[in-house]
Amino acid sequence: MKSLTLERVSFWYPATEAPALRDVSLDVSQGEIVALVGAVGAGASTVLLAAGDLAPRLTGGRIVGTVSRRERSAIVLPTPWTQVSGLAFTVWDEVAFGPANLGWPTHEIARQVDRALEHLELGPLATRDPATLSGGELQRVIIAATLAMDSGLVLFDEPAAELDAEGARKLWRLIRVLAKEGKAVLLATSALDALPDVADRLVWLEDGAVRAVGTPELLADVAACDAGLGTSVATVWGASGLPGPYPLTVAHAVRRWR
Amino acid sequence: MTGRRLHPFTLLAIAGALPALAWILPAPAGGACTAAVALVLTASRGLRRGLWPAVLTAAPFWVFLRLLHDVPTTIAIGLRITTMVASFVWLAATLAPDRLVEATVARGWSVTAAYLFAATITAVPMLRGRARRIVEAQRCRGLSPRGSLGNRLRALRALALPLVLSALHDVDERALALETRGMVSGARRTPLAPPPDSAVERAARWALLVACVAALIWRLK
Amino acid sequence: MSIRVLALIPVAAAISLALSAAVDAVALPLFLDTTGTILATALAGPGVGIATGVVTSAVNTLRNPTFWPFVVVQIIVALYAWAAARAGLFRSFRTAVPAGLGLGVIASVTSTPISYLVFGCTTTGGIALTTALGKALGLPPLGACFFGSFVSDFGDKAVTFALVTSVLHALPRRTAARFPWALRAIGAA
Repeated sequence: MKSLTLERVSFWYPATEAPALRDVSLDVSQGEIVALVGAVGAGASTVLLAAGDLAPRLTGGRIVGTVSRRERSAIVLPTPWTQVSGLAFTVWDEVAFGPANLGWPTHEIARQVDRALEHLELGPLATRDPATLSGGELQRVIIAATLAMDSGLVLFDEPAAELDAEGARKLWRLIRVLAKEGKAVLLATSALDALPDVADRLVWLEDGAVRAVGTPELLADVAACDAGLGTSVATVWGASGLPGPYPLTVAHAVRRWR
Repeated sequence: MTGRRLHPFTLLAIAGALPALAWILPAPAGGACTAAVALVLTASRGLRRGLWPAVLTAAPFWVFLRLLHDVPTTIAIGLRITTMVASFVWLAATLAPDRLVEATVARGWSVTAAYLFAATITAVPMLRGRARRIVEAQRCRGLSPRGSLGNRLRALRALALPLVLSALHDVDERALALETRGMVSGARRTPLAPPPDSAVERAARWALLVACVAALIWRLK
Repeated sequence: MSIRVLALIPVAAAISLALSAAVDAVALPLFLDTTGTILATALAGPGVGIATGVVTSAVNTLRNPTFWPFVVVQIIVALYAWAAARAGLFRSFRTAVPAGLGLGVIASVTSTPISYLVFGCTTTGGIALTTALGKALGLPPLGACFFGSFVSDFGDKAVTFALVTSVLHALPRRTAARFPWALRAIGAA
């Protein structure tokens, strides 16, 4: 069942002539992970804002086309320090901020918060002041805070930006767990090497329009590699002049080599 | 001391009543009593966080008052200022903003005012840190904030403008984040850890208010 | 209160309280502690400006307990900034600086009685000394007090207005368009 559908959506930010999104159509089903890839400014963040009912409602601007959601959505934005509530002086309270705003009963809040803290391995940090955390720790707190809201549709905008390699690996594992729990996940990321193991489908955005939709195999496409959107393995393979089709991952490359 | 366990509204009531009484009651006895109470309260927070800051902040006023006024006026105004300074120093050392927010939520009042207060408290150190980094960065670029007035004003602009603009850019992101975390969901926010309030404290707060009003009426007669 | 305003006020108040780092670096005798209030008013109107001013005073009081009585000044500043924004006075330095000087006068007039009644004109060392100077020159007590407040407020408010003007003009159109008053304040609406 489709949790999110964008139908021929075009969007203009306020006071701008050129549209940020042009005729974008995509959908995300329950339990599916869809990744948005593209160059900087291609429109991935805007798609997420539109999907999360934040554009144009909060950003202003004009939208054409329909966005339909079957679930409540929650979004993780790229800069953790602007997403801190400002009201919480411990990590536990920060994660509980969202559920408390929704008016849930105390035991339900505690359940969701503890679960989210466990998912993100934040137990030891639960009593720390968010203002004293590093960028990576804060990003994990924000992700936990978003998950604690138990939305059916989860949107991620560059969630691994502040994380180190190990943190990023754990995050991708967590996203797969979310999908298994039945959530619909739409994520924008430039961590292309992770996508073959994470995403079910890929949407390639260029200049605000959908250039291609497909499986993560798309990242081994000659065209994608030329546009700078190939996995490291595919890009290196292509750059060294070896013949196509390019391998997607190291495992593929090993198989090709043999 | 007990400050930690008093209800936030009680803390506010005390910190508000003491200066009010210092002004309403006749000098110098009124001011002396309130100042004494306020200083005892600050002492209860310890030397470093309470008494010393209060004394350090209040002392210069006495010096300047003596410079401008005669002894009785100096004492009268000095005691009032000391009361106010000590009360607010005590309040700042005792009031936990999150407890204030929780107290407001538990009462069922709109969380807006408490939110604005608490969010500003958390935003200030962040912006201050950013300001320092901008000063460092501009210094590395050769910005020399010395010399003529015009030079300094230009330097000020080069330091202040990036800070303010980046802060305003943050506002957009913060709005998105607040929205997505349900800040205006319309539902009544669940209190997470409502500070306990007792009948005694409630009565005490009312008593303080009545005392202030009564003193005012008595003074005006 | 809209979400954007809810996000703006703490940031604007924090701006007022964080600019001291910049001021210290250039060693100028300024406060700039009404920057956030004026900016918030120019962006979103007098109500938001007043709220910003009150919050600024409240948080500042935690650091320096003598600020609270001057919350009235912040409110007056917001109202004045509203009038200036409506008249589009932030459209250039030529209009903004005189407007800021005007605010300096009004701010001193407002803060003088507070300074006099609450602090006996000893609000800061600088004000106390200038008041003493005024007294020595033969000015009456209230006049001497005004002299003291005026000297510090005059330049401060002019610089603040100039700074806010720079900020409003430097805002990307996309951001300015989301704040209803911003374009009007710079005479572009």
